[in-house]
Amino acid sequence: MAIRRRDGIRCPVDLFLLIIVVILTTIGVVMVASASSDISNRMYGSPFYLLAKHMVFVAVGLGIACSTLLVPIRFWQEMDWLLLTVTFALLLVVLIPGIGREVNGSIRWISLGSFSIQSSEFVKLFIIIYVSAYLVRTKEQLLNQWLGVAKPIVLLAAVVVLLLMEPDFGAVVVITVSVLGLIFLAGVPLHQFLPVITLSSLTVSCIAIWQPYRLQRLITFADPWEHQYTSGYQLTQALIAFGRGEWFGLGLGNSIQKLFFLPEAHTDFLFSILAEELGAVGAIVVIALFVCLICRALWIGKRAHENGEEFTGLLAYGIALLLSSQIIINIGVNLGLLPTKGLTLPFISYGGNSLVVCSILIAILLRIDYENRNEALHKGSIH
Amino acid sequence: MGKQTTSINLFRYHLVRVALVLLCGVLIARVLMLHTVKRDFLQGQGDARTVRTEKIFAHRGMIQDRQGKPLAISSPVGSVWADPKELIKSEDDLAALALSLGVEVATFENRLLLNQDRDFIYLRRHLPPLQVDKILSLAVAGVYVQREYHRFYPAGEVAAQVLGFTNIDDEGQEGLELAFDDWLRGTPGKKKVLKNRYGQIVRDIKPLEDAEAGRTLALSLDLRVQYHAYRELKTAMQRYKAESGSIVILDVENGEVLAMVNQPSFNPNDRSSLEAAFVRNRAVIDLFEPGSTVKPFTLAVALQSGKYTPHTKIDTAPIRVNNKMISDPSNLGVLDVASVISKSSQVGITKIALSLNEQDMWNMFHELGLGETTGAGFPGESAGYLPNRRNWNDIERATFAYGYGLSVTPLQLARAYLVIASGGVKKQISLVKRSVRQTQRVLDEKVAAQVLQILKRVVTEGTGRRAKVDSYTVAGKTGTVRKVGSSGYVTDHHLAFFVGVTPVEHPRLVAVVLINDPKSDEFGGGSIAAPVFSRVMAGALRLLNVPPDDFKKAA
Repeated sequence: MAIRRRDGIRCPVDLFLLIIVVILTTIGVVMVASASSDISNRMYGSPFYLLAKHMVFVAVGLGIACSTLLVPIRFWQEMDWLLLTVTFALLLVVLIPGIGREVNGSIRWISLGSFSIQSSEFVKLFIIIYVSAYLVRTKEQLLNQWLGVAKPIVLLAAVVVLLLMEPDFGAVVVITVSVLGLIFLAGVPLHQFLPVITLSSLTVSCIAIWQPYRLQRLITFADPWEHQYTSGYQLTQALIAFGRGEWFGLGLGNSIQKLFFLPEAHTDFLFSILAEELGAVGAIVVIALFVCLICRALWIGKRAHENGEEFTGLLAYGIALLLSSQIIINIGVNLGLLPTKGLTLPFISYGGNSLVVCSILIAILLRIDYENRNEALHKGSIH
Repeated sequence: MGKQTTSINLFRYHLVRVALVLLCGVLIARVLMLHTVKRDFLQGQGDARTVRTEKIFAHRGMIQDRQGKPLAISSPVGSVWADPKELIKSEDDLAALALSLGVEVATFENRLLLNQDRDFIYLRRHLPPLQVDKILSLAVAGVYVQREYHRFYPAGEVAAQVLGFTNIDDEGQEGLELAFDDWLRGTPGKKKVLKNRYGQIVRDIKPLEDAEAGRTLALSLDLRVQYHAYRELKTAMQRYKAESGSIVILDVENGEVLAMVNQPSFNPNDRSSLEAAFVRNRAVIDLFEPGSTVKPFTLAVALQSGKYTPHTKIDTAPIRVNNKMISDPSNLGVLDVASVISKSSQVGITKIALSLNEQDMWNMFHELGLGETTGAGFPGESAGYLPNRRNWNDIERATFAYGYGLSVTPLQLARAYLVIASGGVKKQISLVKRSVRQTQRVLDEKVAAQVLQILKRVVTEGTGRRAKVDSYTVAGKTGTVRKVGSSGYVTDHHLAFFVGVTPVEHPRLVAVVLINDPKSDEFGGGSIAAPVFSRVMAGALRLLNVPPDDFKKAA
């Protein structure tokens, strides 16, 4: 008990988590600098334009994270209905012609002058908070009645339909996986959970082959080299980056694939450039850092549970699921293990919305950990 | 119940955690697989998209004059080309691109549309490096640059026909550029380079074959003399409104061509308004009947035969040969052999010729190099025409002796006079500086000297008086021939020419001046070509530091 108390006093935040995030963000800044310079120079006339923007977002993320740290977790739980309203507002507003901005055939951004909001990024966060709160609120119903499971599934379906209208299939997958994972971790009996997960998987699969372009992506994914000059172009270029990297990489700045061969080299496919410049070793180190991050997030959730804070625990699990699904899907896409979809790699990829939302996620995790420690301290002092 | 759910939840927590870690393990396994098993395949695929073999353009050799002054230089330029299929996609950049290419936007877009099914069109060739850099900085997709060399001729029109020119691919097309193409042309090399997706070279990987630059060609021409001769020829052309003209100057010491100029000429650096007639190197291609200028050769045969001395008297009263009356403009009476030449008497030379063996005559003309190419190596050089008949009748022998019925080029005529100037030795004519030279004696030294002294009298007291050069002695012969029209000789079109040697005591220069169809009251070689000779030689002798030998006049 004494050790734990001293621990709590000495450092109010989880240094382990913080250090991992700082390392990942730093790697991100360096890789964005390398991968974006030629693209930036060509598009904006300055090799540092995109890097500068990225660093502004890092600073903004840091500021928002600091503010979030001050918000007690209970606040989020109480705000669940408001957040749900905001969620649907974001999803609907982006679909209004003239407000939503179309990029590459998808309307995902709400333009606000000098910057734009990617609604799905914030939706991910708010849905997790709402579902966690819901699962805690209706625990009895959830464990004993079909209705308890059906309600969040209906909610999920509504969000999915709206997201598909943008369309943003990547966000659909991430949100579905996270919500289902939360329901699973909340302890829903298997006889209720299994039909739900089967149904969801079937639905998502149907959606995946429903649209011709998504079907094409699946066919391409099966053999990208067959379609290397058309639909398989991006994936084959990403794979070539891995092949070039060898063990220790070509060295920072020496990527060839970033020289306009690999589209989205500084955003969705930054991991490939990282593997090309830093080699297999660099890529594995980054994956290992992500594993540490995921496990730490889950561990923070578990500690909250052990303290009896069910909402806090589920929220930490949700964040862990959100981050891990996004990380695994993004890296899986880069490696050609999963069909291509537009998802950024948390902390690494260029992208303001992703960075800000990830900062908020980490800030909430740190806050949860802080409250865990206080709880333990409190309990410790009682005994 | 609470405890039970907690234990279920703990189990599920571990399940999820292990599953996520395992998934990350799969990612790591895949990374390892791509980096090891698939590495060669992926690197091969990557190289196939980025590694290209580029041609290294070889520098074409420089052409210099005898002092090393540049006459033809290759300077680096860039040719901009495009892949229309790709370029047509970058609509927004087309206006800026057209502007920096210096073409009208509408024209440019039309051209692009016309060629939209092709993979390659030149946008503009041979742009200066600065402009090329500007175009590259626009970084328009589908626009590429090929490094090349552009041939530049500093002497412009002055040596245009002699040098010739190259085509846009740097291959010799005309003149010495064509004749010495193998010598001048470099061998292009190859190198491996890395290109980005827009085809710009990012990095040189390694050279495969070195480019071998072409070799320098040193000509025998003296650019100063060339300039001077060209200026005088152009002035004369304008004054007499002549159709064309040529001047050839040979160095008696070694048979090298010091100057070879033609009019009309062209600017080889801007061939947009080029006419075929301007390109012809008339000095070695155009044929004309030499007329009176071959009389000294007939004289040489006469002197060599022993039947004549310079003082042998000949009656030049008109005579009838094969029913054709041969007469001089006025009856010159009894003349010695020397005066027959200096006064250019048709009758006198006819009488001499008819008394000589016709085969000896033909042999002498042939030995002097008439009717065969000079071996100077100029492409398309004419051999001339020297008829060799089995049975010569008298009128044929007579007209042959005063230069009708055969044809020569200005260079051939100059070479024949060089034999007389060099004491009877025939020398290899050359447009390039050479150390080894062929020489061959074709005339007695004494005879050659006698002929030269007689030719000196042509200038001092005969038809070529206007060829005199201050402070130098000159020997030479005028020539005036009627041009050949569609129905034989025409009366009002002439060729006026003059062949001369200077200084007489130690001959250094032989020159032929040819003015084609002068339009003035006077049309004879003595009044049209001789003054040009005088001015050209006055300049050339001083430029070449030839010591004066005629002090009487100077004093």
